[in-house]
Amino acid sequence: MESPGLLYVAATFLPLASFLLLLLGGGLRAAAKPVRDTPLGGSIFRGLGGDAPIKTGAYIATGAIGLAFVLSLIGFILFKQDHPHEAVEHTAPHQEAVEHAAGADVVQDWRLSPLSLADPSRWSVSVDWASLNMGSRPATTLSLGYHIDSLTTVMFLMVSFIATLIHVFSIGYMGDELQPTVEDHQVHTVDGHLRRRGRFGRFFLFLSLFCFSMLNLILADNLFQVFLSWELVGICSYLLVGFYYERRSASNAAIKAFVTNRVGDAGFIIGLLILWTYVGTLNFEDLFRKIRLPENDIANVATASSLRHRIVRAAVVPGEAPSRDGQKLQISAGGDQVVLFPEYSRHSEEVRKALDTGIVDAKFAPRTGQLGSMPYWVLVVAGLGIFLGCVGKSAQFPLHVWLPDAMEGPTPVSALIHAATMVAAGVYLVGRCFPLFTPEARLVIAYTGGITLFMAATIAIVQTDIKKVLAYSTVSQLGYMMLALGVGGWIAGLFHLITHAFFKALLFLGSGSVIYGCHHEQDMTKMGGLYPKMKVTAITMLVGMLTIAGIPLFSGWYSKDAILAQALGFVQEYPKHILLFLLPLLTAGITAFYMFRLWLLTFAGKPRDEHVYEHAHESPRTMTVPLIILAVFSVAVAWGWPLYDAEASVLNSTIEQSEPLSAKIEFATVHAFAHGSHALAGNLALGLVLVALIFASLIYHSRVLDPEEAKQQFPGIHRFLWNKWYVDELYSAIIVRPALTVAHWCRKFDTRVIDGTVDATARGVVQLSRWDGRFDLGIIDGLVNLTARVVFAVGGRLRTVQTGYLRSYILFLVLAAIGIFAVLSYFVAFVRAG
Amino acid sequence: MDVQTALFWILAGLTGLSAIAVVVTQNIVRSAAWLLFTLGGVAGIYFLLGADFVGATQLIVYVGGILVLVVFGVMLTAQGPFVTMKTSAAEWAISLVVGLLLFSVITLAAVNAPWPQDAHHSEDMESAETSQNSVKLGAAFLGIKEITPKKDLTGFPMGKTPPERKQVAYLLPFEIVSVHLLVVLIGAAYLARAKRRRGMPT
Amino acid sequence: MMPEVGLQSYLLLGALLFVCGAVCMAMKRNAIGVLMGVELVLNGANVNFVAFARFNSTFEIEGQIFALFVIVMAAAEAAIALAIVLNFYNNHMTVDVDTAEELKG
Repeated sequence: MESPGLLYVAATFLPLASFLLLLLGGGLRAAAKPVRDTPLGGSIFRGLGGDAPIKTGAYIATGAIGLAFVLSLIGFILFKQDHPHEAVEHTAPHQEAVEHAAGADVVQDWRLSPLSLADPSRWSVSVDWASLNMGSRPATTLSLGYHIDSLTTVMFLMVSFIATLIHVFSIGYMGDELQPTVEDHQVHTVDGHLRRRGRFGRFFLFLSLFCFSMLNLILADNLFQVFLSWELVGICSYLLVGFYYERRSASNAAIKAFVTNRVGDAGFIIGLLILWTYVGTLNFEDLFRKIRLPENDIANVATASSLRHRIVRAAVVPGEAPSRDGQKLQISAGGDQVVLFPEYSRHSEEVRKALDTGIVDAKFAPRTGQLGSMPYWVLVVAGLGIFLGCVGKSAQFPLHVWLPDAMEGPTPVSALIHAATMVAAGVYLVGRCFPLFTPEARLVIAYTGGITLFMAATIAIVQTDIKKVLAYSTVSQLGYMMLALGVGGWIAGLFHLITHAFFKALLFLGSGSVIYGCHHEQDMTKMGGLYPKMKVTAITMLVGMLTIAGIPLFSGWYSKDAILAQALGFVQEYPKHILLFLLPLLTAGITAFYMFRLWLLTFAGKPRDEHVYEHAHESPRTMTVPLIILAVFSVAVAWGWPLYDAEASVLNSTIEQSEPLSAKIEFATVHAFAHGSHALAGNLALGLVLVALIFASLIYHSRVLDPEEAKQQFPGIHRFLWNKWYVDELYSAIIVRPALTVAHWCRKFDTRVIDGTVDATARGVVQLSRWDGRFDLGIIDGLVNLTARVVFAVGGRLRTVQTGYLRSYILFLVLAAIGIFAVLSYFVAFVRAG
Repeated sequence: MDVQTALFWILAGLTGLSAIAVVVTQNIVRSAAWLLFTLGGVAGIYFLLGADFVGATQLIVYVGGILVLVVFGVMLTAQGPFVTMKTSAAEWAISLVVGLLLFSVITLAAVNAPWPQDAHHSEDMESAETSQNSVKLGAAFLGIKEITPKKDLTGFPMGKTPPERKQVAYLLPFEIVSVHLLVVLIGAAYLARAKRRRGMPT
Repeated sequence: MMPEVGLQSYLLLGALLFVCGAVCMAMKRNAIGVLMGVELVLNGANVNFVAFARFNSTFEIEGQIFALFVIVMAAAEAAIALAIVLNFYNNHMTVDVDTAEELKG
């Protein structure tokens, strides 16, 4: 097949199609509702669900994602054929012929691939859809595209598979939503509990949208596309966490999730902008080529250089002032500038000259073939910014506060989004952007992961809500992955990502089954002794618990051992970061402890609440079958040959194919140390885990040590852990309260000053208009009226002249005659002369 | 004083006093009586001025015709004996003032105007034969010239001489006037025809 | 006594008659009285005419002719005036000219 990469594109768009179909259906139903009395309107209305939702939408969504899984499986097989498994060092780097426009003509150039691909055109395509021309600098473009390597295929498989299973699970779990009216016991209205229509279809609508955006994120080959999908998964998370939005707690949790994510996204955007401004591109491949010295070029100049695949730092040559379009830099280890290399190697002469002499002629606006530069601290900030986005998405400290509250959403949502996939997106992105991070940024990543994993594990010890325990467990395991990536264990971190997805989904679905069976009871203190009643659930959850604890031969053992080995190797290389090994080691024990505690409290011992125990039942087949499948996978997904060898996992070697060469080279000694101390790390961890398991069974199974006594003996610690290290309260005091205060001030300002001004203006205008009215009525009208009155009065007076009396007329006649006489005698000459 | 002067004063005094009496009297019948005397006095003045035909006509037409008519009118429109129409004192005063004003104006004009004098007149006034007033009138109607020779004229203002006069025949205007009179009388007869009275006066 | 009775004396007499007639017209409330005033005015004018005919040689006979015309006209006018007064009397039952105030503005 020509471009099997399109299989993945098709697989990505299938859930989108399902989303649009469901949306159309829902829209038609809403449009037909007012006219449901008419024959046509009524048939449409009832066909699309009528008063109670129908299952058709769920089948469409499940079918779509299932088909996507099948396509990704085919793609995986084809990819494996194209990329036979062999050590990466022996793979000849592929030089792809690329046509690009340089000046007035089209030039064929050689582009280097740091990540080897058999035939890139089969597995990666990029389409430019927007271009921003900034004058002298070359145009920067936004593009959409996909770039498939082994990591993508594995992630795709994992996401689509787990999503399919969860779709199937949800058909059974969300059965309550199929009724025409659902009574929500947690929402109180004026007359009892809230009654609303069931929202079965909406659930699958959102799930489809989420699947599309998650798959798009995995597929993306540039940061902008990742960002689009990033935001979209954030929105889906908001929609799904707030599924029961009438509950105050649910809507608050949804907003908290979204807002916390947005805080991280601010950093993400900063990183994006820095990269776009300074490096000029957002494409992963192009970014890595520019920032790090490329492996090979035509002249094979850089192969021998010790700087290959490293970030080349340089300092301004003393005595040389920067000219108008560039500056001269001297390559030096602690320099404050970073050399940006050309994408295309046609002018590898420049690179050779730079490496030979050590002097780099860096331009401010490099054209093709020219070298550029950017300040080092800016690159650090970019890396930290992108990491901040991942902190928000993957619920690391300090932005972890949303994940426990996000358990307000239905359990399948927690399983899919907040365990297996969305939170994994942050880790995935850190892995993808690995060559971008400077050593300082990587250290920050490692410590963040370390703090998070320890903190979350300690909080999980005292939680009583079954889903909350699992939520904190997720946060802790994500911390593990971040730590692994920070210390250079690229493979280990992503390996753990995949295995974690399976067993965490299993644990969540299992808890969902328990909750369903106990009629939506989530408090573990009310459960107990449920093993006889829910055997399948109990056994699968036991499998999941063993996996997460790291018992050998379960998949979690392979990945956790890899992480611990890597951490030990790092500590051997840099002994002052000993904490980066001790924390995960200790937490491995704590993890085992609280997971076993969870299992014991739920399934073992005597039932603590008779009512719950009586009505408990096993879940239907649609729910137990996914559990069994997931249990099988969580055991076997990391198996390799020989089974007992932790490093021989097939999955491990598949991911290893995609490891960036920069990671391989920079952490070469660390990898060697890790390989050497793999067994030591593993045995230490195993020892701690067994101690923790025994400890947990002593407390919760045999009741040798009473947890209540412990609570009374260490009230301070218990309170500290129960209140989640008071992080929420801290945020409330630092951020929420001041924000609310400012909001109050603003509101007061708005009501008093602005509204006051507006009201005063209004009143002033009214007053003015009243005066104007008075003026108009009084003076203007008065003048007019006065004129009229005067005229009338004068006329009235003059009227009296017309007396009607004959005699007065005669008098006037006489007077007139006198007048004429007088006038004549005045003017007529001869009378005067006489 | 010669006879003419005395006669003038007597007649003028009679006329003037009667005229004033006409104005002053409240009773309408007495006013008519005083009018009679006024008209008679005026006729006398005419005779004194040598216009005997005019004087005779005055007596016949005015006194014998118009005054009788007036008296008829007075009788026909007689009100009850206790109904007198008095004018108020204010109106008296105003009318008096206006009258005096008019009189003074006319008098001033009459006195100050340089009327051309004629020394010829006294001879014609000796007797009725020499005045020949009617003959002159008749001749004038027919358009026969008879004018005073120029050399006897004196007193023209500012050295002006009288213009050459063409004798105009006054018979046509006379006829027109008489026809006019006829028409007027017919009209008056029509106007004054008997109509139904609108009821008794309150 | 005045010097010789000349034109001016007769003019004065005419003026007196005229003024009396005017005042009579202005003052009398009886319609017939007004008519009498009219006669007086006309007579005054006639006296003027005849006096001028006597004392002014250019005006020798025309004055008398005009006086004749005036007398004829006075007769006609008196007839009409009386007819009007009678009509007025028929309509208003009175000859008080003050009642004829329909022209009052």
